[in-house]
Amino acid sequence: MSVVTEHPALDLVNVTIDLHSRGRRVNVVDDVRLSIDAGEIVGLVGESGSGKSVTCLAILDLLGHAFHVEGDVRVAGEVGRTWGNKSRRGRAASMIFQDPTASLNPISTIGHQLIDAVGRLRGVDGSEARAIAIDLLTRVGLPEPEIRLRQYPFQQSGGQNQRVMIALALAGNPRLLIADEPTTALDVTMEAQILRLLDGLRTETGMGILLVTHDLGVVAQICDRVAVMYAGRIVEQGSVADILDQPRHPYTRGLIAAMPTMTGARRHGISGAVPVPGARPDGCAFAPRCGNAIDICRSAVPALADSGGGRIVACHNPESQTGAKLDEAFTDHRAEAGLGQPLLELRGVDCAYRVRKPGRLFGRIAEFRAIRNVSLSLARGDSLAIIGESGSGKSTTAKLVMGMEPPSTGEVLFNGTPVPRLGTPAHRDYARSVQLIPQNPQQALDPRMHAGRQIVEPLDIHGIGTRQERIARMHELLAAVGLSADVADRYPHQMSGGQNQRLVIARALALKPKLLVCDEPTSALDVSVQAQIIELLDELRRRLDLALLFISHDLRVVRSLCRRVAVMHDGVVVEEDEAAAIFGAPRHPYTQSLVASIPDMSRARSTSPMATGGPQHLANGLAEGIAGP
Amino acid sequence: MNLRFVTRKLLRALITLVLAVTFVFVILRAAGDPVLAMLPDDTSPEIVEQMRQAWGLDLPIWQQYLRYWQGALQGDLGTSIYEGRPAVDLVLERIPQTLLLTVPSFFFMLIVGVPAGIWAALRRNSGVDRVIMSISVSGYSLPNFFLGILLILVFSVQLRLLPSAGSGSAAHLVMPVLTLGTAGAGVIARFVRSSMLEVMNKHYVRAAIARGVPRHIVLTRIALPNAAIPVITIVGFMIGTLIAGSIVTETVFAWPGAGRLLLDAVSSRDLAVVQVGVMLIATSMIVTNFTVDMVYFLVDPRLRYGSGQGEGS
Repeated sequence: MSVVTEHPALDLVNVTIDLHSRGRRVNVVDDVRLSIDAGEIVGLVGESGSGKSVTCLAILDLLGHAFHVEGDVRVAGEVGRTWGNKSRRGRAASMIFQDPTASLNPISTIGHQLIDAVGRLRGVDGSEARAIAIDLLTRVGLPEPEIRLRQYPFQQSGGQNQRVMIALALAGNPRLLIADEPTTALDVTMEAQILRLLDGLRTETGMGILLVTHDLGVVAQICDRVAVMYAGRIVEQGSVADILDQPRHPYTRGLIAAMPTMTGARRHGISGAVPVPGARPDGCAFAPRCGNAIDICRSAVPALADSGGGRIVACHNPESQTGAKLDEAFTDHRAEAGLGQPLLELRGVDCAYRVRKPGRLFGRIAEFRAIRNVSLSLARGDSLAIIGESGSGKSTTAKLVMGMEPPSTGEVLFNGTPVPRLGTPAHRDYARSVQLIPQNPQQALDPRMHAGRQIVEPLDIHGIGTRQERIARMHELLAAVGLSADVADRYPHQMSGGQNQRLVIARALALKPKLLVCDEPTSALDVSVQAQIIELLDELRRRLDLALLFISHDLRVVRSLCRRVAVMHDGVVVEEDEAAAIFGAPRHPYTQSLVASIPDMSRARSTSPMATGGPQHLANGLAEGIAGP
Repeated sequence: MNLRFVTRKLLRALITLVLAVTFVFVILRAAGDPVLAMLPDDTSPEIVEQMRQAWGLDLPIWQQYLRYWQGALQGDLGTSIYEGRPAVDLVLERIPQTLLLTVPSFFFMLIVGVPAGIWAALRRNSGVDRVIMSISVSGYSLPNFFLGILLILVFSVQLRLLPSAGSGSAAHLVMPVLTLGTAGAGVIARFVRSSMLEVMNKHYVRAAIARGVPRHIVLTRIALPNAAIPVITIVGFMIGTLIAGSIVTETVFAWPGAGRLLLDAVSSRDLAVVQVGVMLIATSMIVTNFTVDMVYFLVDPRLRYGSGQGEGS
C-alpha cells in the first residue's frame, strides 16, 4: 500500500552550511543537491568529517545557532522548518541513531516514551495512544508489545532498542526517515534484521529513507541510490549498481577498495585524512590523497557533471566508464604461516562467573558459564580469529589469555606453562610476551601523556635500556607503525582515531611481545582507516613473527587477516577451520547464518533490491541546476 | 529492597555512631578537665577531687568509657554538669529552634540553587551564566561567620532593617537562613549546571529533540530527572554542612538552637551534653545518607531492577 505523493520525500537544493566561530566563517557543507523519492532508500557515504551528519542535522533543523544554512531544505515539498503549522521534527521527518540504547531516556519506560510520542504527534490520548503504541511495536517486529511497554531501555538488547527507536520515529507518520549509522553498533545478525525491517517499512509506509553509513556493504544491501560525500561536497551520485561496480570518482574507488570483502582480497586504505573544514585545499579537496590528480585538480574545484543514467561525478580526471574491476588477484599471504609448536594453547577451558540474578538487590547468586570446553591453539607467526556475537564468550576467551580471569577448569598454556593471573609477580614477565590491542584506542591511552611518553612507559616499567635507548626505541616504534616522529609530542586528543590506534599498537610492541590479542581493534574506526590498521597488523605479524589472536564480530575484517577462524556461539566453539573453508563452505548452521547475514557488496550487487530505472527526473533536475546560473 | 539490605544498613549506621561517640569521648577527656573548667581558680584541691569522684572522672578512661556505655544502654546518656538535668532533655528542647533554622535553609538552598543551575546551563557561556557562577563561587567560598557578620553590618547596623540577634519573628529568620543556605545554594547551582550540561549532550536528549519533543518538555521531563541523579548525592552532603553550619550561624546570630548549646557545652567541657549533641549529629547524617540511598532507588530504575544484562562476553 504505497502512498502516492507528488513531492519527493526530501529535496536538498543547493544547501550550503557555514559555521561561525570566533568571528571566522568556515564552510562545512558546500552546495549539496540531493533528492529522495517517496519509498526510496538513498545511501549517504563518506568518512567522518565529510559533512554527512551536519547535513542530516540541518534537515531536522537541529544545528546550533553557530551554523548558518543556505539553500532549500524541502521535506515532502515543504520548505522551512514547519509541517502544517507545527515543527517538522517527528512529523515530516524523523531520525534514528547509531547507538539506540543511549538514544532512549534511561529512566523512563519504553511505553512512557512511545505513548507520549504518539499522543503528541497524532493528537490522541490515553487508551488510543496506547493502542497505537502497541500496534507500532508489533509493526517493528517486537513480540509481546504489552510487556515491552513496561520495560526500560537497559532491559533490552541493542537490536530491540533500535526497533523501539524506529517505532518512535514512526509515531508521527513521517515522510522521511533519516537513519544515521543505524546498525553500526549491532551484531551482524541484528544488522541484517534491522535492514530488512527498514526495507519493509519503506514499501509499507512509502516514506523515503536517507541512510547514512560508512559501510558500503549495507548500502549494497538495501539502497536504491547512493551519494558519496567528501569534505562537505557530494562527489559522486548514482544507482547502487553503477557506483559499486564502476566507481568513477577516485574517492569512491578508494572507499570500495578499503572495504574488506568476502573474497578475502587485500584491502587498501586511503592514505591521509579528510581535511578539516577551514583547512580544505584549493581546487579539489581530494586531490592531496588522489592517485589520479592532475594539475587542474589543485587549482579548480570540479563541478558535478552528469554522465548519463542519473550518474553524477565531480572529478577532473575520473576513472573511465569501463573502469577496471576492483578485484585483485587474491594472494594468500597467510599460507606461509608456521605450524610449529603452539605458542598459546587452551585445553578444555571452562570459565564461570558468579552473577546476581537481576530483579532484586540481593537476588540469588547464579553461576554463569561464559565459555565451555574451549580448546584452541595458536603458533608463532600465525593468526587466529575468534568470531561471534556479543555474549558468545569471545571476550571472556581474550580475558583468559590475558590472565585477567582464571579458567574454572582446563588449562590456558603459553609456551607450555599456565598463564599467570593478573596482579601476580609472574604476570609481570608474562605481560612482556602478550599484549592487548583494545577496541577503543582513546580510552586505552592516558589523555594527559604525550604520545612518545606513552610508548616509553612500558620500557620504564620493565626497566629496559637506558634513557637514550628508550627514546631511540620509541622513534623506531613510531616509524614501524607508520607514525611520523613529530607525533611524539602530541596528546591523544590532538590525534585522529587511526593515529591513536597506531600509537596503541606501538606501545604494545615496545616490549617485543610474541602474541598480540586484538579485541575488535578496528570497530571504532572509519572504514578507510580500518583497512590501514588491518594492513599494519598483518605486516607486523609477518615482519616480527607475531602471533595474532583476533577477536571480532566483523567477519569481513577477519577474512582478510586471519589464517584460521574459530566461531563461538553461546560459549562454545561451534566450528574451527581455515578461513577459506569457514567462509567458503560453513558447516555449522550458526556459522552459515553468520556468513549469510554479512552485508557484502559483491553478493548484493546481483540481488540488489533497487529498481534500475531510478528516479530520472531527479537526476535531470540536478543536471539543469548545474547548467543553470 | 529487602530485610538483609536494611539490616546491613542499620548495622553500618550503628558502627558509625559508636565510632563517632568514642572519638569524641576520648578527645574531650584528653583536652582538659571539666571540673577545673567549671570551678573558680582558687577552689581547694579537696573540693576538686570530690567533684571528680562525684562525676566519675577519677577513674581510668577505659572504665569511664565502659560506664558510659553501661548507662547509655539503660537509656541514661548522662547529666549536664552545669544544669544538673539529663543531657538528652537539654538537647531535645533546643531541637525545634534548630529545625526552624535549618529546614527553611534547606529549601532556600534548593529553591535558589536548582533554578540558578538550570538557567546557567541553558545560557551556557553567556553573561547570565558568568554572573550566576561568580555568585555561586563567592557564595560557597565565603565562610559562614563572615557572611553572617557582613549581613549584620549591612542590614542591622547600616540599614537598620533586620534584628541582628535572637529569635521570635519571621524577620529574625531572614539573615540566619541566608547565611546558612547560601553556601549550599552555590554548590548546588554549580552541580546542577554541570549535570544539566552533561545530560543535554546525551544521545537521548538529541534523539528526543529530533523526534519533535518540545523544548520545555525535553527540559523538564527528560533532562532534569536524569540530571537530578548525581545532584542527589550533593544535596545529601549539603544537609551535612547545614547541620555543621548551624553551629556557627546560631552563635553569630545568638539563635537559641542546639548548635549553640553544643558549642557552649564544648567550651565548658559539659561532657554529657557534647556527647548527646554529637550522637544527634551522627544520627542525622546517617538518616540523611539512608534517605539519599532510598531516593536513588526511587529515581533510577537501573538500580531497582539491577542492570538487567550480564557482563558482556
